[in-house]
Amino acid sequence: MYSEPYIDPASAHAAAAPIEHRFNPYSDNGGTILAIAGSDFAVLAGDTRHTTGYSINSRFQPKVHTLPCDPPILVSANGYSADGDTLVRRLGQRVQWYSYNHNKAISVAACARLIQTMLYGKRFFPYYVHTIVAGLDEEGRGAVYSFDPVGSYEREQCRAGGAAASLIMPFLDNQVNLKNQYDVQTGEPKTAVYLSLDDTIKLVKDAFSSATERHIHVGDHLEIKIITKEGVKVEYFPLKRD
Amino acid sequence: MSDPSSINGGSVVAMVGKDCVAIGCDMRLGMQALTVSNDFPKIFQFNNAFLGLTGLATDVITLSEVFRYKVNLYNLREERKIEPETFANLVSSSLYEKRFGPYFVGPVVAGINSKSGHPYICGFDLIGCINFAKDFVVGGTSSEQLFGMCESLWEPDLEPDDLFETISQALLNAQDRDAMSGWGAIVYIITKDKVVKRLLKTRQD
Repeated sequence: MYSEPYIDPASAHAAAAPIEHRFNPYSDNGGTILAIAGSDFAVLAGDTRHTTGYSINSRFQPKVHTLPCDPPILVSANGYSADGDTLVRRLGQRVQWYSYNHNKAISVAACARLIQTMLYGKRFFPYYVHTIVAGLDEEGRGAVYSFDPVGSYEREQCRAGGAAASLIMPFLDNQVNLKNQYDVQTGEPKTAVYLSLDDTIKLVKDAFSSATERHIHVGDHLEIKIITKEGVKVEYFPLKRD
Repeated sequence: MSDPSSINGGSVVAMVGKDCVAIGCDMRLGMQALTVSNDFPKIFQFNNAFLGLTGLATDVITLSEVFRYKVNLYNLREERKIEPETFANLVSSSLYEKRFGPYFVGPVVAGINSKSGHPYICGFDLIGCINFAKDFVVGGTSSEQLFGMCESLWEPDLEPDDLFETISQALLNAQDRDAMSGWGAIVYIITKDKVVKRLLKTRQD
């Protein structure tokens, strides 16, 4: 802040208080993720910048992962990247064990419940992440599930997570769920309709370009993973590097 | 939540269009999580300049009256209306005067210069550092949400009607993602020869 208490150097030396050193198990690696569900697809996108404080550790550290199952499921755990990577790695193992034990691929709904138990399992030493899962549900419709760090979760049409979530989320309310928009003829509130894949990708690019403009922890590259019944496609889009 | 700038809540936003400017605010006054009033506008008119004031409500009221007093004296001394640029510098120097015991506010100024006809907007920090923006300025508890909305909705040279829609959507959707802002909204659309004030119908939660 703008003011600090004045400490007299002489008395500070005389009454040198003991300095407490403490290990801090968490840090924040910035970045932002975003997922939108469509009628027969889902997208999960994330920037590839990896930071600590004001330093950029990497301009290309992808964080949107495809789980080893068929049909595939996309997952990203944004926040403290060491915890995110660990969660995704362990989730991958659990998803494989599931297929061995049950002789079938895990559904997105079951995967979401599994993530809840994994996150809550560390209730008193949490994974410091905002987790988003995207895939196709059993009817083939796009599904997005989002989680808080201790496993509270919800299925949604769209969700932004991470550093610039507060910048992107109101934009999504407005453009995906058509909040605060009214029909010109009837005067009734507009109801959300499924977006086409092309429109969805345009929206994702706009959201990230805007977030990059105003948030220092977002930038470098955008990685968009698109899941359809054909499988997973990946698209890259350059973001500002400043 | 003992931070003075987020006790009462509230937000403002201003935007530039083609030969027009717009400024909007929410209507909430709260004490931490408790809403006390839904009739607390944060925009004040001083001749050709419009001032949006967010932050600690006591300072919002005090400053609005300080500026009423100062602008009245300006009118008597100069025998003319104050222009937005001049008013912005008055705001800046008045805030810096309290450099080591500041008012906890986030002011925004908008207006059209009556001589040149140029649209003008700017924002300030609590000690008066001016942010000369060409596009939009935001302030208050939903400033992050407003940045996200404005950065994605705003485009250059909007006509007054389109500027109204843009600033309203930016404000409404931003305040709906902030528990400290909302409970009504006011938007002013300012052109060289007309000022339109609109009360927006919003969610009441």
